[in-house]
Amino acid sequence: MHMVLRGSDSSSNSVYDYAVFLVLSMTSFFLFRDTLGKSAGAFTGNKSLFIYRRVKPVDTIVARMLVEIFIMSIIMSIFIIIGFYLGRDMHAKNLGMVFLGYIWLFVFGFGLGLLVAIGNVFYDFVGKLVGYISMPLLFLSGVFYSIQSVYQVSPDVAQLLLYNPLVHFMEMIHGNYFYDLDDRFVDYEYMAIWTAVTLFSGLWLYIFLEKRIVSS
Amino acid sequence: MIKLENVTKSYPTLNGKKFILEDVTLDIPRKNIGILGRNGAGKSTLLRMLGGIEYPDSGKISSDCSFSWPMGLSGGFIPTMSAKENVKFVCRIYDKYGDEMREIVESVREFCDIGEYFDMPMKTYSSGMRSRVGFGLSLSFDFDYLLIDETLATGDTVFKEKAKEALENKIGECNILLVNHGVQVLKNMCDVGILLHEQKLYYFDDIGDAIKEYNKINRKAA
Repeated sequence: MHMVLRGSDSSSNSVYDYAVFLVLSMTSFFLFRDTLGKSAGAFTGNKSLFIYRRVKPVDTIVARMLVEIFIMSIIMSIFIIIGFYLGRDMHAKNLGMVFLGYIWLFVFGFGLGLLVAIGNVFYDFVGKLVGYISMPLLFLSGVFYSIQSVYQVSPDVAQLLLYNPLVHFMEMIHGNYFYDLDDRFVDYEYMAIWTAVTLFSGLWLYIFLEKRIVSS
Repeated sequence: MIKLENVTKSYPTLNGKKFILEDVTLDIPRKNIGILGRNGAGKSTLLRMLGGIEYPDSGKISSDCSFSWPMGLSGGFIPTMSAKENVKFVCRIYDKYGDEMREIVESVREFCDIGEYFDMPMKTYSSGMRSRVGFGLSLSFDFDYLLIDETLATGDTVFKEKAKEALENKIGECNILLVNHGVQVLKNMCDVGILLHEQKLYYFDDIGDAIKEYNKINRKAA
């Protein structure tokens, strides 16, 4: 296994450790995908619990998010332990920003998930749609490559990819982790707008529709 | 005391809105209440609205009493968890921890009498076993009103007797709101009656009068 992972380094031109790169992208992408996917079904899946007056629909999303954070921190710890075991250099350029990237991505996933969960109550294709787009999103979100490397090949494609907010999150995490990469393509304002719009419209819709969600 | 003020409730169907209540204003005193009405008139919806888990389109339902969740045949349990875990879960929802929780778990275990199944996932239960747990659970909490939706009809003869007895004991401490088609059960358990007919609520001080009126409506329909 050691050999295989080392081998993948030499095949690419970059200096950074591609195995660590993949772990970072996969964990962050799955964090997003699972927060979104889990919260999408939170209202419809826990309908039977709403017979207890004290259970508000948003509780079910919060509960699922807590489980998600718990699982993700276990997975992260396992990867870190494996990294130490293999003697990888895992020193991060700016660990604080990497953490912020994860947390920010989680908040973004929660906001979008809340919107999807509300939509799913009234139109059940919304939840299915999320399931369908998560696969292509995996390839379009800069999980397996850095935008820098795409930019060298084709600036137009890189520009196009940057419309996807997830790419910015990936770049933020990668750029702040590796000394050989940077966050020059990251538009923090663009990320903030996406997060704020989804989160606040989700919360506003929720407050507006809570009673209808309970009695649906 | 339950106050209904200009309550209108409808639900959407393929042929437009179907109204259950239209502009109903009514004060219901704190007694044991039986709710009568034909199938589909909206008795269960009315019960859910009183329990605060369904909301009227317009108007207001207010009360200074606490209500249980509607005890019915379905829902409220997580199928992958055992009855014990489900009971603990509901205890935590209602802020009961420690000794209080242990007491409730033991009383439900004793009441539902399903043996070792109590510690097995609820998806393995029969519907009778599930309603035993549900019944035992709602009797273990102290509410001002118990909302009961036809639950009395389930279970075998032995359990039915036991449930009836437990409920009669409980009625000393709390009041019930009962939806049932069994005229005899209503007569035994309830003091006053509410008849739900053609989007209106009719209140009767005596359950006997309510039943008479209900029979009249049924005869007319037949």
